[in-house]
Amino acid sequence: MSKPAKRDRRILWAASVPMMLLALSCVYPIYFAINNALKDRKGYILDRFGLVTDPSIENFVTAWSRARFDEYFFNSVTVTAGAVLALLLVSSLAGFALAVLRFPARKLIFGVILASLMIPVQVVLVPFYQTIVALELLNTRIGLILSYTAFFLPFSTYLMTAFYAALPRELVDAARVDGAKFLQVWWYVMLPMGKPALLTLGILNTLYCWNDVLISLLVLQDERTLMVGIAALRGEYTTNVPLLSAAIVLGAAPIVLLYVIFQRKIVAGIATGAVKG
Amino acid sequence: MAELALQDVRKSFGAVDVIKGVDLEIKDGEFTVFVGPSGCGKSTLLRMIAGLEEVTSGDIMIDAEVVTDEEPFDREIAMVFQSYALYPHMTVAENMAFALRLQGMSKPERRKVVEQAAEVLKITPLLDRRPAQLSGGQRQRVAIGRAIVREPKVFLFDEPLSNLDAELRVQMRIEIARLHGELKSTMIYVTHDQTEAMTMADRIVVLRDGLVEQVGAPTDLYDDPDNMFVAGFIGSPKMNFLSVAATGPRQVSLGGLSLDLPQLKNDLNVGTEYALGVRPEHLFGGEGPGLTMQIEVVEQLGQTAYVHGRLGAEAQPVVVELRDQRPKTGQTIEITFDLSRATLFDAQEQRVR
Repeated sequence: MSKPAKRDRRILWAASVPMMLLALSCVYPIYFAINNALKDRKGYILDRFGLVTDPSIENFVTAWSRARFDEYFFNSVTVTAGAVLALLLVSSLAGFALAVLRFPARKLIFGVILASLMIPVQVVLVPFYQTIVALELLNTRIGLILSYTAFFLPFSTYLMTAFYAALPRELVDAARVDGAKFLQVWWYVMLPMGKPALLTLGILNTLYCWNDVLISLLVLQDERTLMVGIAALRGEYTTNVPLLSAAIVLGAAPIVLLYVIFQRKIVAGIATGAVKG
Repeated sequence: MAELALQDVRKSFGAVDVIKGVDLEIKDGEFTVFVGPSGCGKSTLLRMIAGLEEVTSGDIMIDAEVVTDEEPFDREIAMVFQSYALYPHMTVAENMAFALRLQGMSKPERRKVVEQAAEVLKITPLLDRRPAQLSGGQRQRVAIGRAIVREPKVFLFDEPLSNLDAELRVQMRIEIARLHGELKSTMIYVTHDQTEAMTMADRIVVLRDGLVEQVGAPTDLYDDPDNMFVAGFIGSPKMNFLSVAATGPRQVSLGGLSLDLPQLKNDLNVGTEYALGVRPEHLFGGEGPGLTMQIEVVEQLGQTAYVHGRLGAEAQPVVVELRDQRPKTGQTIEITFDLSRATLFDAQEQRVR
């Protein structure tokens, strides 16, 4: 083998070692969760890091029935689905309006939406909570759906606007000449053409809503979503780690599944947004 | 089928006036071409007729009915765009039937109408494909098909052939002309290509800087331009403009040569400078007075050759059309002026008749 090839291989190795460590740091928590979820409490205390010897699904059953995870799961699914649908609908309409229609203060409105992207949720928690209370939306799923929609809308609107602005304007003109009213232009042309961006947003927003603890903790205080339920399993002095692990696996499974199904499209979609934005 | 009239139509984008008052009447069934250099406002004018661009002032009338403030669809026009603007997520048939679907026509009926139009345009085998699977020429045919199914009063074409290669452009040009013959609809066609304008139009509207420079049949504009702009814009290669000085009421001098222009109805101001417009094909082989020219560049196109050179002592650049000859660079040829076809322009670039 010639010298340059040897050198190339050394560089490859030098690069792959940190990469592998990085991969390990991602994979290990998953291994830890699944491994310990299959142990019982005693088994966990005796050997925290070792491979499970006597696997049982006891913890999953306990989490699902006794720890009310079935309810939490249902709450999470309804709220996430509702919020994602609302987000896609509103951001697509807003993106269409901002990208295509010519109305006064259009740029200002877009600027304000962009600016709101930079405000962290934590900063507005108190007024947000007061608003929720005043609207009598506390402890309602619809309240949480509306909250998620409000918090994640700026980014979604920004992405849809950028995506629609990159589409040829003549398509809208053609639809108008064909007799489409504004909403029909949106329904028949913009919505189907926005599919790649909407798919990306659907997945990203599902992740955000599903994994949220903070907003959910504030709005749904009597009931819980899955992530709040998982967080509540951590005790002040002791924690039932195998049960927590089982809950984490239950909570992560739908998202992992979603990711596996849409993997290619997620990457493609993010790239689309990036290039066209 | 419809007549169309523009009455002092104006358009401004903020402080910029794009269309500065256009009056125009287009007769029923006429094929009108708007032609002009980029930025002259021809596409804007077309979009105003379509209803896609608001009119700042003035009126647009279709069949003696004011449509200035109506939606595009209510004007009963159809438009073919430069980029085709086909809906990428619909099949060819769905693209063509979209307007009918919005009107609430039933599916079998739609299919029938679309199939008839596809027949005319020879795109029947493509009906179930998507635009991405079509070539540029096929896409343009579909775009035209989408216009046909509507049976509009007026067809609008916005530089429909600009995105096609040269050969296809010639072919589509002929097809659109044939289509006009078949449908006998009123059509307005925008292009910057004077060849397209000359070959397709019943009437050409030459625009510059938002104003109509001249309206007329192609041959009228070619033979009898109103000003230097139209004279230079229509015809390829361009008309030669030679600066001459008036030496008599109907006589000018060029490089020591006296040229008589008996066709002039008005007297010239002796001593004033004018521009003499002579087309390349009227500079060779005629009977008139002559000058010698040394050839600098030859464009040999087969039977025809365009030779570029400089004329007379003032070395004014000219293009001459030669037929059935093989001229060589460096050769000297005799230029003769066919003065009966020559035109004269004053310092304001207006025609002197």
